[in-house]
Amino acid sequence: MRLTPILAAALLAGTLLAAGCGAGGSESVVGRDTLVIGVRPDLPAIGLRKPDGSFEGFDVDVASYVAGKLGAEARFVPVLAADRERKLVAGEVDLVLATFSITQERKKTISFAGPYHISYQDILVRADQRGIDNVADLKGRRICEVKGANAAQRVIEERKVAAEVVRVDDYAACTALLKRNGVDAITTNDVILAGLAGQAGGLRLVNAQFNEQRTGVGLRKDDLDGCEAVNRAITDMYQDGTARKLLVKWFGKSGLRLDPVAVPQFEGCS
Amino acid sequence: MRAVRNGGVPGRIRVLAAVSVVGLALLFGALAFGTASAREGLRVVGHDEGPQVVASASLYLSLSDMDAQVADVLLMGNGYDAQRAAALKRYEQRRAEVGDTLLRARGLAEGDAPAIRTITSVLAGLGRYERLAAQALLLNEQAGHQPGPPPRAVLDRYREASDVMQKVLLPQAYNLTLENATTVRHTHERERTSIRVTVVAVVVIGAGAVGCLVWLQVYLARRFRRVFGPALLVATALTALSALSGAAVLNGQATTLDTAKRDGFDSVLVLARARAIANSMHADQSRFLLDPERADTYQHTYLDKSQALMYVDAPNLGAYQDKVAGTSRYLGLLGTELAERPSPEVVTAYQGFQQADRAMRALPAVAAVAERMGGVRTGFEGYDTSLVRLSDGHRAVYTRAVADGDGALDGLWRVLPFGIVAIGAAVVAGVRPRLKEYR
Repeated sequence: MRLTPILAAALLAGTLLAAGCGAGGSESVVGRDTLVIGVRPDLPAIGLRKPDGSFEGFDVDVASYVAGKLGAEARFVPVLAADRERKLVAGEVDLVLATFSITQERKKTISFAGPYHISYQDILVRADQRGIDNVADLKGRRICEVKGANAAQRVIEERKVAAEVVRVDDYAACTALLKRNGVDAITTNDVILAGLAGQAGGLRLVNAQFNEQRTGVGLRKDDLDGCEAVNRAITDMYQDGTARKLLVKWFGKSGLRLDPVAVPQFEGCS
Repeated sequence: MRAVRNGGVPGRIRVLAAVSVVGLALLFGALAFGTASAREGLRVVGHDEGPQVVASASLYLSLSDMDAQVADVLLMGNGYDAQRAAALKRYEQRRAEVGDTLLRARGLAEGDAPAIRTITSVLAGLGRYERLAAQALLLNEQAGHQPGPPPRAVLDRYREASDVMQKVLLPQAYNLTLENATTVRHTHERERTSIRVTVVAVVVIGAGAVGCLVWLQVYLARRFRRVFGPALLVATALTALSALSGAAVLNGQATTLDTAKRDGFDSVLVLARARAIANSMHADQSRFLLDPERADTYQHTYLDKSQALMYVDAPNLGAYQDKVAGTSRYLGLLGTELAERPSPEVVTAYQGFQQADRAMRALPAVAAVAERMGGVRTGFEGYDTSLVRLSDGHRAVYTRAVADGDGALDGLWRVLPFGIVAIGAAVVAGVRPRLKEYR
C-alpha cells in the first residue's frame, strides 16, 4: 500500500534529522584534511620563520607530528604572543603551538590540550659570569625583559627578589645587551633562552629551573573531541620516542637539562 | 495485489491488516533497539567503565601518598615515634594498593596498546622509585637526625625518588584516568544520540501504525456499514499508548543518562582528581620543610597546584592566601565544579587548610615541623574529609539515577510483551469476522 513508502520515508527523514543534529555545529579539528596551525615566527629553535617563508623549530615539529596523527596536512601561519587567543577565537587558526602556557585565565576563552612540554623559567648569563646560580642571586642585578612578557615581573613579585628590570623590544636586543654587559642576565622560558644561547654563542644557561610553565596546544573552546585526540597524539609522541628525538634535535646542544623525558600531566579536556 | 485490482475486499482487508502488523513489529523493534541503547549507556556509565574510571583515579592518590609518607618520615627524623611508625605502615599499605590497582588496570586495558604501554612504564618506574625511597629511608634511619631537614645524602636520594614520582609516575597515572574517562564520554554521547533518534523513530512509526489501524477501521466501517469495530478501537488505543509511553520512557532514559554522567560520574571524577592533587600539595608542604635548597621550588609547586584547584589571580602564595580567605568565587578544577554544584563546607575547609599552611610557613624550622604534624595535618584532613563527603553525595545521585534508569526500563518491558499480544489479538478479532463474511 502507499502507506509503507510514506512511513519509510518519514522514518528516514526523522532519523537523518536527528543524526544531523548530533553531528552538526561542531568545529572539531578531528576529521579535517588541512589544519591551520599558529606557530611563533620569532623564536630560534622553537618557532622561526626562515627566509623562504617556511617555519622550523621544536613547536613546528610537534605540530607536524600532531597534525599527522590527526590525519591532516599542517599549514603554518605566524602568531605573536599577543594574538594567540584572538586568532583561535576568530577561527583564523585551528591550533596554536607557540610556547603557549596553560593558564586559568586563558581557559576562560579557549581550550588546551597537553601540555606537550614542561618548561621552567630560567636565567641566561654570559658564559664567564660567576655568582648567578639561582633566582635569589638576581638581587640587585640588571635583568632584561621583552615588552609584553612578564618573566622579570615574576622574579620581583612572586619571588620577591629586588632585581633591576631593563625593558627592550625583542630578544635580539636582550642578547645584544647581555653580550656587551648592558644587562647581567635574561630571564624567561628556558626553551627560549636555550634557543637564544644556541644562536648567539658565548652565553650560558644557568638551569635554575624555577616557575614551572606548562606549554600546551591551544584549541577552540569546547572542542572536546579535538582536545582528546591531541592528547592521544602527545602520549604517542612520548611513547614512540619522537619527543626525546625532537628535544635532543632542538635543545641537545644548548645546555638545557632535558631528563627525564616523560609525558607531562595533562590539563584535562572538560 | 491482484485481489485489490480485482476489487477483492478480503484481499484489501488482509493487506491493510498486514501493513498494520508490520508497523507494530517495527514499533516494538524500535522500542527494543532504544532499550538496548539505554541499557548499554547505563552499563558503561553506571556499572562498568564509569566506576572503574573513578577507581583508577585512586592510583594517583595512592602513588602520591606513598611519596608523602616518605617525605613525612624523613622530616620527622628521630622524633614523633608513633606518627613515624604510622607513616611507614601507611607507605606499605599504599604500595600494596598501587600494585593491586595496576594489576586490575592491566586487565581492563586489554587491546588498548597505549594504555598497556603506560601501565608497563608505571610499573617499571615504580620499581625504581621504591628502590630509591628504600635507600633514603635506610640512610635516614642510620643518620638519626633531629626533626627537620635530614643530612645531604638522604636528601639527594629522596630528590631522585621524588623526581621519579612527580615527573614520571604521577603524570602517567593522571593521564590514564583522563583517557579512560574519554571512553565513558564517547559511549555516553553515542548512546544518548541513539536514544534520541529512536524516540523520534518510535513516534513516527507509532503514528504510522495508528494511521494504518484507523484506515483499516474506516475502510471496514464504509464497506460493512458499521460505525465501530470495538476490537480494532482497542488495538488502535493500545498502539498509541505503547508508542507514547515507550517514547516517554526512552526520552526519560536520555535525561537519566545525562544526570548520571554530569551530576554523578563527572563530579565524582573531578572530586577524585581534586583529592589527588590536594594530597600532593600536602606532600609539597613536607618537602618545603625537608629540603631548604629546593624550598622555593616546592613552595611554588604548592601554589601552582592550589591555583589549579581553586584559582584566584595572585602573584605569590601570600597574596593567594589573602584572596582565598576573602572570596567564594574560584576558577580551576575544583572552583569550576563548586560554581556549578556549590558546597560551602568544602570552601570553608579549603580556606582553613590554606590558613594553616600560612601559619606553618611563618614559623622557624623546628616549630614549623611541629605545625606540619599538628595544625596543618588537621587542616588537610578536614579538607580531605569534606571532599570525600561531597563526593559521596554525588555518588548517591549517580547510583540513584542509574537505578531509576534500570527500573524504568524493567517496568516498560514488564508491560510491553502483554501489549504486543493484546494488540495482535485485537487486530485479529477485529478483522476475522469481516473476512468470514466472504467465505
